[in-house]
Amino acid sequence: MSTNATQMLVSATMEFLRRHSPFDRMETPALRFLAERAKLAYYHKDAAILTPDMGVARTFYIMQRGKVVARQAGEVNVTEYNAMTLGPGECFPIGAVTAQRASTNGYTAIEDVFCYQLSADDFFEVMRMSSVFNLFCTQYIASLLNQSRQQLQVQFAQRAAEQQSLNTSLSALVKREPVSVRPETPLRQVLEAMGQQRLGSMIVTDEENKPVGIFTQSDVLHRVVLAGIALEEPISKVMSKGPHTLHDTVYAYDAALAMAMHGIRHVLVVDAEGRLKGVISERDLFTLQRVGLRQIRQSVETAPDLETLLQTSQDVRQLAVNMLAQGVGAEQVTQFISALNDTITRRVLELNLDKHDLYGVEWAWLSFGSEGREEQTFSTDQDNGIIYLCPDFMDKEQLKMRLLEFAQDMNSDLDKCGFPLCTGNIMAGNPELCLTLEEWEEKFTNWVRRPDPTALLNATIFFDFRTLYGNPSLGERLRKWLLSLTVANPSFLKMMALNALSVEPPLGKIRDFVTDLDPEHPGTIDLKKYGARLFVDVARIYALAAGLHNTNTVQRLRHCTKRLGMSNDDMSALIDSFNFIQLLRLRHQHLESEAGHAGDNRIHPDKLNELDRRILKESFRQVRKIQTRLKLDYQV
Amino acid sequence: MSWLSRLFGSKAAPVVLSPERLERLERWRQLPDADLERSHFQTRYVVVDVESSGLNMVKDRLISIGAVAVVNGLIDTQDAFEVILKQDVVSDTENILLHGIGGSAQREGMEPEDALLLFLDYIGKSPLVAYHAVFDHSMIARAMEKYLGYKFEPQWLDLAWIMPELFQEKIDTNVALDSWLNLFDIENIQRHNAVSDCYATAKLLQVAIARAGDRGAECPARVMEIERVRRWLRRSN
Repeated sequence: MSTNATQMLVSATMEFLRRHSPFDRMETPALRFLAERAKLAYYHKDAAILTPDMGVARTFYIMQRGKVVARQAGEVNVTEYNAMTLGPGECFPIGAVTAQRASTNGYTAIEDVFCYQLSADDFFEVMRMSSVFNLFCTQYIASLLNQSRQQLQVQFAQRAAEQQSLNTSLSALVKREPVSVRPETPLRQVLEAMGQQRLGSMIVTDEENKPVGIFTQSDVLHRVVLAGIALEEPISKVMSKGPHTLHDTVYAYDAALAMAMHGIRHVLVVDAEGRLKGVISERDLFTLQRVGLRQIRQSVETAPDLETLLQTSQDVRQLAVNMLAQGVGAEQVTQFISALNDTITRRVLELNLDKHDLYGVEWAWLSFGSEGREEQTFSTDQDNGIIYLCPDFMDKEQLKMRLLEFAQDMNSDLDKCGFPLCTGNIMAGNPELCLTLEEWEEKFTNWVRRPDPTALLNATIFFDFRTLYGNPSLGERLRKWLLSLTVANPSFLKMMALNALSVEPPLGKIRDFVTDLDPEHPGTIDLKKYGARLFVDVARIYALAAGLHNTNTVQRLRHCTKRLGMSNDDMSALIDSFNFIQLLRLRHQHLESEAGHAGDNRIHPDKLNELDRRILKESFRQVRKIQTRLKLDYQV
Repeated sequence: MSWLSRLFGSKAAPVVLSPERLERLERWRQLPDADLERSHFQTRYVVVDVESSGLNMVKDRLISIGAVAVVNGLIDTQDAFEVILKQDVVSDTENILLHGIGGSAQREGMEPEDALLLFLDYIGKSPLVAYHAVFDHSMIARAMEKYLGYKFEPQWLDLAWIMPELFQEKIDTNVALDSWLNLFDIENIQRHNAVSDCYATAKLLQVAIARAGDRGAECPARVMEIERVRRWLRRSN
């Protein structure tokens, strides 16, 4: 008809769409095609727009004004859990139109709604024309998460301008051909080669070029000179055997993590067949970094006193910020923080062991809660305990006194290093938490047999224990005991499930989020209490039911994928959601603490950008889904 | 010009159309009338808005016509219309600032005869919709009479009367269009642009027919009755 009039209206439609993701990034021809074919419809409040019994979804809807609620059809109790609201810019039903099946959700207008309608044929044409739209539809959640991560990177980019990306694959980081020798090579020849070529380390490989050992400059003093080894001896006699290797397809942060966790300075890069491709040193990873892993760990390991360690724990925070800036995911960042905090705790333990003689005692230092799960964020107080054995020949009281004195010194020293005392007194210096293996077993047994509210709360903290120092076999024995208890007591797990389900994700029926749960902080959501904890609780129950040794939430969930009969995609969506909430917590705690406030977990959803709001909403929907599953599994 | 000469002006100079234009007009007149008993959702409504040199229905000239169709309940941007009528005398600056159709655009417009025939082709015999329809109707009808020598008497739905009857609980009186747009959170892309005003009014029509359908008025004829009853009641009061 009249091209002028149409052009004007099409432009207005495009302008509207450009204000929303994914249309804001869509290629102009595809967006124009969409805008030209979209027809505008109106639905009054309470009108049913789309229901499962309408059959194969032939129309794709993009909201222009108003709100729509989507409810999952089916059993009544499922429906209640699966309502979500959609606002301007949001689309439905992506899955049903893409798969050309009936919608599983019913969509009802809860306000007067104007929405664009696109026929399925045009929808597929847009998918064909636009890779952005295609990605959006096929990787609904994943694509949103990536965008958020990119935005986060931009946000931190200025602070981290001088830093290289830890998201580089190792194959790209390996710069020169590795120098290697055979195990039978005489020491003299090795040392000469290292001197001539200014090598910090020499790799020892077998005839297939697979690494069997490594020898570094720092080994020369202790293993050769002081040990009085003749230079005619073969290198195999002094090398470190079984060097740490990584495939060249993994990322720089994997190498950094390996260095942090294993306390090594070099990682050998190998190809798929295990053949040596190169060496990555800490120097390679952090040459440009102000606060590097190397500096941190070196200063931890050699820290003569607590003041130095305090400085270091602040450096850990800075490093984590840098990692966030480089786009490293929440899972890796929290693991990093945990690994480095472990190192600091170990150093504090070593310093205290100089003062307290625990020689001959079988004991171990345990960490609980988020520390036990390796999910530490910036704000972390102490959660620790001691497990030990009391042989018959030792005086029970006396031994406990010795350990308690040691533990209380530990607690106060950790406090000085930036790990505040636990307000709930969950600390090794508490006589209730400095126990023999048998006492721990008895404690766990009581909680499982008599799951009163206190016992259930304790279970959520202590059952995530991890051995941080000392004799690891004690922790392993306690874990076996615990898992044999939980696997055999489904009624206890049912109580745990009931407890876990007492908190729901704060999704509003009309507004996006419920933000008035805490009267003292209106307009906020506590992302720990109403976010992360929900995932953690569900993962714990399934892990205890399955007899899994893991304490980390992501690992627990991954191991449960098959058992829960979930597809890998569904599980990834759930895990991504958990990681996203952790990321928001980290970011929030970082931004808060820079402004001089204590880091907390309360975020203002209104202050999030639209994208983050939508992912947060999606993340809550994911946890609601797994909660529904838990509810069905335990019939609560 | 005195009122006398204006009164007799049209009679003094009868319109002579070219055979081609006459045939186009005749073709339009032969089109079957729309079935006003069909459901809203099987009907093509055309929402019309005009821009003129002023608000005087007798004196001012028609400058442009915009229209947007609501077909089977949906607004299809492909089914939209706009035409500017060629003006011998450009409207004053204040007026231009209002609707944004500048002097050159007015002078370079389409010959009024062709513009009006194009409009007729576009609307067909669809029921027309406007807000304060008497103004839009007068401006178009006068131009039709002047340029085509044709007495234009289509069926109109006037949302200015229909909306307060359907939404008495919200507004029960004749108000300006913007009041309804605000109430339903309808955005006007470019106020006083004929197409933009039509688009906003078309959204209002969507709201109206949804409510009318709920009230049992499921086709254009019933909605026209609602309007007639309201006009009659208000007048007898």
